[in-house]
Amino acid sequence: MKISTREETGHVILRLEGEVDLHHSPTLRKALMDLMLVNRAVIVDLGQVEYIDSSGIASLVEAYQMTRRNGGRFVLANISLAAMRVLQLARLDKVFTLADSVEAALSIGA
Amino acid sequence: MSNSKSMQLSAMLADDLALIAEMTADFALSQNIEETLRVGLEHICLRLEAEAASLFLLDGDDLVCRACWGPSDVVGLRLQPGRGIVWRTVEQNACQLVRDTALDPDFSNHVDQKTGFQTRSILCAPLSVRNEKLGAIELFNKTGGRNFNTTDQRVLQALAASAALALINARQAAAMAEQQALQRELALAANIQRAMLPPTQPERFPIHGLNQPARGVSGDFYDVVALPGDRLAFAIADVSGKGMNAALLMSKTASLFRCLAKRLDGPGAILQAIDAELAETCSAGMFVTMIAGLLDCKSGRVVLSNAGHEPPVLISENAAILIEGNMPPLGIDPMLFSSDCPETVVDLHGGSLYLFTDGLTEADCDDGSMWGSEGIRDLARELHPLPMQERLQAFLQRTAPPPPLSAHDDVTVMVVQDCPSRLHRRYPAMADSLGHIRHGIQAMLGTAKYDAGVIQDVVLAVDEACQNIVRHAYAGLPPGDLVVQAEMNDQEIRICLTDFAPPVDPSFLSVPRLDDLRPGGLGTHFMLSVMDDVRFLPPPAQGGNVLQMVKRMRML
Repeated sequence: MKISTREETGHVILRLEGEVDLHHSPTLRKALMDLMLVNRAVIVDLGQVEYIDSSGIASLVEAYQMTRRNGGRFVLANISLAAMRVLQLARLDKVFTLADSVEAALSIGA
Repeated sequence: MSNSKSMQLSAMLADDLALIAEMTADFALSQNIEETLRVGLEHICLRLEAEAASLFLLDGDDLVCRACWGPSDVVGLRLQPGRGIVWRTVEQNACQLVRDTALDPDFSNHVDQKTGFQTRSILCAPLSVRNEKLGAIELFNKTGGRNFNTTDQRVLQALAASAALALINARQAAAMAEQQALQRELALAANIQRAMLPPTQPERFPIHGLNQPARGVSGDFYDVVALPGDRLAFAIADVSGKGMNAALLMSKTASLFRCLAKRLDGPGAILQAIDAELAETCSAGMFVTMIAGLLDCKSGRVVLSNAGHEPPVLISENAAILIEGNMPPLGIDPMLFSSDCPETVVDLHGGSLYLFTDGLTEADCDDGSMWGSEGIRDLARELHPLPMQERLQAFLQRTAPPPPLSAHDDVTVMVVQDCPSRLHRRYPAMADSLGHIRHGIQAMLGTAKYDAGVIQDVVLAVDEACQNIVRHAYAGLPPGDLVVQAEMNDQEIRICLTDFAPPVDPSFLSVPRLDDLRPGGLGTHFMLSVMDDVRFLPPPAQGGNVLQMVKRMRML
């Protein structure tokens, strides 16, 4: 798993790559929590995610819940087939805000 | 010259040319060159009006009489090198005209003494083609008390030249026929050898190999022998030297291996027994480098013994290593293997073991250097993802010399892969084992033609179930082991996960807890969603839990 972040027009974009499993999800969780504490608009780019398991999904859910409590925006963008399959299995594709691309995510609510 | 004399000469010349033409044709068509020479000798005698004639051919150092015409028969007469008119003819490679034998110091009359024939004059012409001396034709006594003349000499020279050419042609034809017969025998031997190699197996069979002899027959071999308990014994070997003697020793070694593999326990014992047999009976200076191995298909564990052979290469997810051995080749000295032949244990971990002969490592790279063990290790890593048959061919193609050259040594390559339709591995129950487990399952499913989505789902279910074991079954305990068993067939994919933790409450499988977003519940929901059957089996005697998951799915 690889995580990189960049800022663009008032949003922080967290790009996730590779395989997100129990071994890596604590790193993802911490990265997301740190970002959510200081940023009110976070986009997670899932385009390069080859695998994500329930623990990775749980980290995303925790970030989503934080937004619900504290306000702000949390968007999943550019979702790979592997990630989409897991989101659908968890019925979370209807819960998260999803965008086809990072550009589309930036324009949501802009 | 008078007109009538000139016409007479022309007529004689025409006769001589006709005789030469006739004999040349006879020689060219002859199936039995010596019989033809005998008949030819008769024609020559009649034309040149000689009382007798003999034809001598070189046989080793001697001249031997092969055909005679006239009152006495000396066929078989052997003339050792020395004086005498025939030897002078052959040595000088020039026609000899002896008008009066009494005046020639080289003439010996001891044949006359035996036969009672009285030699007065001799005309003798060499049989030779360029500088290759074959023998001579010798004529004795012109009839009517006359002498041979220079015209006779020219005619005999012409006839002898034609006979010599015919002889050479006949000998070359015989040599060629012999070579063709030898080639047919070699081709037969090569066929028999190929029949000794294992047949090509479907992609999912664990052991594959390819052998390409440099000549018709090979000094390399590889073999696979099925043993009870889902085990396969295998071997690769290279006999010193090339050609027929190497091929025969190879056949012997191969037969020994087939026979011993079924009787002896383990590769070390097999090599010891083969060494004892070869060292006792091997021809001097010949030896065999060999690896014997045993694959346990259920566990993917290989036991190897290496006798002086190129080190095999293990290619797995994150390793490419040469497995060195330190024993000498077989067949040198029975003492070398009498006490022990060490074995090495290699776990394939979803990877493959590559074995090869020095035809591969000693092949030339583009820059003229040899590939070497490291070069072949890197090549194996590069070719590893290819389908099996393509992979084996690629080894030969990549190391083959550029056309029109052909490989100068036999080449054999062999791949032992973790049994692709079954998997049985033990991992530490820790988070960083999960990637290895997923990749193992993925690799296994990838060898069958399943829809990509199915593979993804099953991998997710396995990962989630293992995660439960790591996080919950062993919670608060020092991490134990986790055994993953998987099997696929035409109907289903079956996964069994065994842990050695205290019994878990099986009821957590009964209710999907989608409303509860705690990770454990979500993972169980995934397992139940993507698999057709998820249940706990009775635990093993030593305790623990066995979770079985089945996905009913036909291969595409």
